[in-house]
Amino acid sequence: MLNALPDLGRGLWVTLELTVLAAVTSFVMGHVIWWLRGRSLPLWRGIGHLYVSLMRGVPSIVQLFIVFFSLPLIGLGGKPLLAAVLAIGLNSAAYVAEILRANYRTLPHGQTEASHALGLSDFQVWWYVSAPQALRSSLPALVNEFTLVVKTTPLASVVAVTELTYAGQLVIARTYQATPVLALVVAGYLLICWPTLKVARRLETRFNRARSH
Amino acid sequence: MDWSAILDNAPDLGAGLLITLRLSLVSACTALALGALLAWALQKGSPWLRATVRAYIDFVLGLPILVLIYLLFFILPEYGVTLSSPAVGVTALTLYYGPYMGEVLRAAFGGMARGQYEASAALGLSPLETLRHVLLRQALPVALPPSVGLLIGLVKDTALLSVVGVEEFMYAAKQAISTSYAPLEIYLVVAIAYWLITLLLDTAAGALERRLIRHRAA
Repeated sequence: MLNALPDLGRGLWVTLELTVLAAVTSFVMGHVIWWLRGRSLPLWRGIGHLYVSLMRGVPSIVQLFIVFFSLPLIGLGGKPLLAAVLAIGLNSAAYVAEILRANYRTLPHGQTEASHALGLSDFQVWWYVSAPQALRSSLPALVNEFTLVVKTTPLASVVAVTELTYAGQLVIARTYQATPVLALVVAGYLLICWPTLKVARRLETRFNRARSH
Repeated sequence: MDWSAILDNAPDLGAGLLITLRLSLVSACTALALGALLAWALQKGSPWLRATVRAYIDFVLGLPILVLIYLLFFILPEYGVTLSSPAVGVTALTLYYGPYMGEVLRAAFGGMARGQYEASAALGLSPLETLRHVLLRQALPVALPPSVGLLIGLVKDTALLSVVGVEEFMYAAKQAISTSYAPLEIYLVVAIAYWLITLLLDTAAGALERRLIRHRAA
């Protein structure tokens, strides 16, 4: 059992890598989709809406296989980690876009008008005025979404990325000791998720308190 | 692209889709029942029971559902519990979605003032009548949107059961791929099928919600 620990440790590290890469993808793409959904041209809005609907309506495991089998078509075959990062990140982006949309909507419209009157460009209004407020109020939901990304990473095991779950399966196949290995795998996920969930809850109470004053 | 693979495997895919729908329906009902039980235990249980329930909920919140599926699938047989794979699947989905469902119920029923129970009793309503005419009337519109969100999540997560050999839609797709080797075509069709189910659920929920709140002034 002890010689399984390095394998599981490496798996945990890959899980963390996968999570961070997917979360960054999700954050960037989430902004793109949020921006598309705020355009006045119906075509862009429609594309944004369709993206969210498809990502929300199709199981992540199906999305992962579609990405996995599509990558070879653009010359990126045999890269399971890339497929997993893209599939998990692009899926989560739909939820990030919805979080951003909900939080930007609460900002009073007068702010934008006042900023324009002061001579700020659209980008400056977003960068200096809207984004700092909306991102702060989005933070609890975004941290929560981050834990969901962590909880989606075991999917990568089905395309043979040696993250924590797949590392565990490999050890079980070698040692036939399911219970202790799975207990360690579970402990690994709780180790990542519990502190993150705690941060999300604390941010939420702090933000609610600030708003009620 | 080789779309004939879809036609050749249509009967098997259709049978798989039916199993997915049945698994979803059964798991949704059991998860709702477990959720109600958990919500009740948190409200009325002894301190010891409340602490146990809370520990269980925290455990599930920190655990990927795929790991929960593997846990049940690998560990139950070691303790002499041998369930069929669909039964393991329904158990996993129930254990995973029960706490989320419980949270929705708590939010929907928790907001109601105590005085309503007393007022209903004073009006001579039985507990069942109180539930039907007073409590559900208010709780359902609140609980419906998040419940549908969970239901959609549950339907999608049934696809994970294919990894432990439950012969649902995703499993049928994998079988079809192993004979036709047209993975992209088949997964695209599978994706569209799941998407249509989701759209249908969303539309139905929207219509039901409008019906539930039609008495409110516009």
